[in-house]
Amino acid sequence: MFNVLRRAEVFNPKKGFLRNRHRFFTSISLKLDNKNEHSDYTELNTMYTDMFDSDKFKKEPGLNDKSELEILNEETEELLTVKHSSLNSTELENCVRNDGTFVIRSSSNNPYYNLALEDYIFKHTPLKATRPNNRLLFYINDKCAVIGKNQNIWQELYVSEAERKGFEILRRFSGGGTVIHDLGNVNYSFITSREKFSRSFFNECIVKWLLESNQDLSISLNSRSDIYFDGKKCSGSAFKIAKGKAYHHGTMLINSKLDSFNGILRPKNEKDIIWETNSVDSMRAEITNLPLETPERFIDICTNGFQKSFSDNEMNCLPLYYCSEDVTINEEIQKTMHTLKSDRFKYLHGPKFKLKLPLTGDEFSVENGVIVNASSPEYKNMPFQNFVKCSNLMQPVYNGKF
Amino acid sequence: MRILTKPTSLRSITPLRLSLRRQSTSVNTLNKNELPFTHTSTGPKEVKYTADHEWISLHPDGTAFLGITKYASDALGDATYIELPEVDREIDANESIGSVESVKSASEVYMPLKSTVTGINEELENTPQLINTDPQGKGWMVKFQVEESENNGKIMNELYTLEQYENFLKTAEE
Repeated sequence: MFNVLRRAEVFNPKKGFLRNRHRFFTSISLKLDNKNEHSDYTELNTMYTDMFDSDKFKKEPGLNDKSELEILNEETEELLTVKHSSLNSTELENCVRNDGTFVIRSSSNNPYYNLALEDYIFKHTPLKATRPNNRLLFYINDKCAVIGKNQNIWQELYVSEAERKGFEILRRFSGGGTVIHDLGNVNYSFITSREKFSRSFFNECIVKWLLESNQDLSISLNSRSDIYFDGKKCSGSAFKIAKGKAYHHGTMLINSKLDSFNGILRPKNEKDIIWETNSVDSMRAEITNLPLETPERFIDICTNGFQKSFSDNEMNCLPLYYCSEDVTINEEIQKTMHTLKSDRFKYLHGPKFKLKLPLTGDEFSVENGVIVNASSPEYKNMPFQNFVKCSNLMQPVYNGKF
Repeated sequence: MRILTKPTSLRSITPLRLSLRRQSTSVNTLNKNELPFTHTSTGPKEVKYTADHEWISLHPDGTAFLGITKYASDALGDATYIELPEVDREIDANESIGSVESVKSASEVYMPLKSTVTGINEELENTPQLINTDPQGKGWMVKFQVEESENNGKIMNELYTLEQYENFLKTAEE
């Protein structure tokens, strides 16, 4: 089904950006016919082939009754199996620090690497007086729960339950609420200038591109510019603004194991655990997967849409770069990963709060992650993180609640 | 080209403020009745602005206050949480000292001068809205002591005056 859809698109003359793609393939394929070694063409073709996923299109060659179209498609698929190469650290630095609009994909599933890479690209994207340097990053994270910059980790999550289920817990640099990632979820990140930034802009683009690929898809934006499918939320957004630039990053659930997310997010208003805080709220919403074949399909649709919409010249296809943790790494990214992993950023950061536990009569005031006041004085000056670990043993009535 | 264009969703909510700003050049002026101004009876010796839309009021005793401009707070929308630094923290020039969170956005706030944090506006903890209603007065964020140094003097000179800041906004909008 997937392949059929893809082919239909490549050769649909009614869709402008796909005409582009057709043209590229035709010309590149002809050149490929002259030689057999694909590796010879890796470099030459990177710019075009990187637009597509290379793993999904392996096909047995060989039927005799092939139409011209089928032959062309086969060539296309052969082309798609060309292995893309990841940027090395120098190439990353060059493409990030120089002016230019591009798509960049991380092939790592390490959330620490991906958030650090995003931060690196955001920080070093140069400001430009005229058209901003728009960049679109995609990454897919292994199981993790990611809280907003100004949230309280314990108020958002059943931390021990998340850990038991193998979900890594991270605090990110952007605002907003808590989201859960797994390999069925795509993270997109659109970097632009502060002056061009609008909270609704990029999700409007995504909805447009998705509808162009399938007009029957029942997706829409709500008043907060979140993307909904069939009345349920399939994507969450958060934003960051700094130094004349801004990014909008969001999640898109494609084939996430939504059942496994159960029991990780703490509901609001539990009667036996009372929080007093000014931390940023998460909006609870019923979630659903967007029914695309694979996360890669979503990335392809958005990559094509972006390349079509953000190129200043129809013939000039915007580049797509790949990153991998082993080669696309530098000291700054490593340092940011270290920050993201540190207790200081994860647990000692975030708003102050008061916690009341009516079943045991305990009360705590916590600032910068440390208990500054407690109904039982022995807890004073203890990092709350340490307290909850031992409290699960000491207070069975709250076992598993933190 | 426009600097800090209001997101379309906010544009419809704040047309009044927008039109006020266009008619007057004084919306980014420091509120003369609040601490950033009244810390010394004669007022600050200098008020400067950054391209990142922060203001600084520097008093003769080396005490200074920092916040974000009305222009910036209008563009950000309703503030929900203000992240502030720890008191006594030493800040390098251009280091982030906190953020203003509004409608899922964390907007970083920077300190242009090498300095030490001597106080934070605790009112913002319970009333982050002060960032919207009076960002250049009741909504000040950080009180700090400026290290006297050649470099800080140089930075202070290079920061915008109110007039330069208004011009910066104007040219950026064109």
